[in-house]
Amino acid sequence: MEGIKEYFYIALRNLRTRSLRSWLTIFGIIIGVFLIISLLSLSQGMKKMISQQLRALGGETILVMPGDLSNLIAMFMSGAKLEKEDISAIKKTEGVDKVLTMSYQALVVRYENQSKTILADGLSWEEGVDVLERFQGWSLKSGEWPTIGRREVVIGSQVETEVFEKPIKVGSELTIKGRKFEVVGILNSLGSKQDDASIYLDLPIYQDITGEKKGTGKMAMITIKEGEDANRVAEKVKENLQEVRKRRAGTDVADFSVITSEKMSGIAGSILAIIQFAIIAFASIAILVGGIGIMNTMFTSVRERTREIGIMKAIGAKNSAILTIFLFEAGIIGFLGGIGGTILGISFAKLIETHGQIHPLFYFSASITPGLIIFGLVFSFLVGCFSGLFPARRAAKLKPVEALRRYE
Amino acid sequence: MPEPIIKLENVWKVYQLGKVELPALKEINLEITPGSFITIMGPSGSGKSTLLNMIGVLDFPTKGKIYLKGKDISLFSENQLAQFRGQTIGFVFQEFNLLPNLTALENVVLPMVFQGKSENEIKKRGEELLISVGLEERIPHLPSELSGGERQRVAIARAFANNPEMVIADEPTGNLDSITGKIIMDVLTNFHKKEGKTIVVVTHDPNIASYSEEIVNIKDGQITLNHQQATKVLWKV
Repeated sequence: MEGIKEYFYIALRNLRTRSLRSWLTIFGIIIGVFLIISLLSLSQGMKKMISQQLRALGGETILVMPGDLSNLIAMFMSGAKLEKEDISAIKKTEGVDKVLTMSYQALVVRYENQSKTILADGLSWEEGVDVLERFQGWSLKSGEWPTIGRREVVIGSQVETEVFEKPIKVGSELTIKGRKFEVVGILNSLGSKQDDASIYLDLPIYQDITGEKKGTGKMAMITIKEGEDANRVAEKVKENLQEVRKRRAGTDVADFSVITSEKMSGIAGSILAIIQFAIIAFASIAILVGGIGIMNTMFTSVRERTREIGIMKAIGAKNSAILTIFLFEAGIIGFLGGIGGTILGISFAKLIETHGQIHPLFYFSASITPGLIIFGLVFSFLVGCFSGLFPARRAAKLKPVEALRRYE
Repeated sequence: MPEPIIKLENVWKVYQLGKVELPALKEINLEITPGSFITIMGPSGSGKSTLLNMIGVLDFPTKGKIYLKGKDISLFSENQLAQFRGQTIGFVFQEFNLLPNLTALENVVLPMVFQGKSENEIKKRGEELLISVGLEERIPHLPSELSGGERQRVAIARAFANNPEMVIADEPTGNLDSITGKIIMDVLTNFHKKEGKTIVVVTHDPNIASYSEEIVNIKDGQITLNHQQATKVLWKV
């Protein structure tokens, strides 16, 4: 089509002439795109982080957690634990190889006159090291694994340098709940910020300092014997735990969840899909409002510039030329809104991510990919064009003589 | 006799105002031959502007035929008509009608942009036209930075951008003082004499009519007199 460059230039000039109105309209789009980009990058980051953690679980592990998985919030908030008998029943189940019991809590850790709240994980090292190395890919960057029964800790790779002002080294001393612990090992990155920013200690010692009942745990990770089927072993674990429940409390109501890592992946995937759907739905409303703003601006513009349209038609402009000029105007509004929204969205997501690194319990990760940026820009341009389509068509269809006569 | 650029044959234009029919033009027959300089005169509401719209193929008649270089315009699509209009007819309006956001040069080259001419060609032609109307100093200026006379000269340069055969001017001096009005008419006459362009002017002003070779008087939507300048009979109130 002839004159595309010139039409673009005319559109740009028109927008500059109505700069305040143009900027206000652009602002509407900025808000919408900002919401979409920031929320999408954060939810994608969350998905990536969870996927990493689930991948680390491997295909042949089973998780046992107290509480009912159908009510996740209640499960995590209840503070329910696996009792000693439960863990013993799990260990005795046919097909079970090793059981890694764990418990966790945010604790104030003191190092070099500085105190920080860090997530502390108590792990049953006796079985744990083997499970963690083989199934979760844990490895030490320096030092060694703690000796069972001693006040020794290994730290995540972020704790080494990013939590305290002074870096922690192997041999450094940490104070937790008034007791001194020696750092004996530093882990390589585990691929999840939450894991990298935690410290790990022997479960009985952890229970000593936190006052948690010995022999219990908040979660158990089971590895299965070679040749066994994870689903079958999970069923057996469930049966045994129900037996224990019946004996202990006289009820067979399942207040625990036994799931294979495969099933866990599926559950997490569906939850994340729902979250993302909700995010997109809300952000779409914001974009819709922005789009209506563009449409309103463009309709006003067509009405104000009816005479100009008449002049252009009188001097030989075809309908397509008028349509292109107005579509360019709407597209530019959308695109500029997209640039602004994408920059703001990315900055906000990065800010949240940075804040998440500082705080010990919340680890947001932002996933900013070239695809997301391109999506933000193309999407906003298309929203602009689509919103401008009807006003532009109205402008293009004006009869030259009517357009010239109007506002005379 | 050369083929007329525009031929109006029994043209009627009737506006429908609710249930009332208001005829603006009644059985108009008019031929505009190449190289002529015609003035259309008539009182306010006589149908001058409607006639001008017909001559400029900006509007279609309710009845009758309009032929643009021998072709019936009712057979043209809207886009074909825009293209043909852009190539054959230039317009000068009383209110100048320049696009306020574009410079003098950009306004002048716009009809060429719509005809899909090359960037280099249109820039050169635009500058030449502005120089020919004495505005070489005003090339990069916006309409708001120009005087009324300068704006009208830009509009005239724009009207000649595509080297059209005919230029239609609707009260071209209506918003100008008499001295500036004379400059504008000199510019138009210059194009007519030097390049043999056909000029059609609508005016109230007998002085402006005196530049033309043929005068068409219109009253109540009908041509009352159509005569050569030699037998001058101007419109009288």
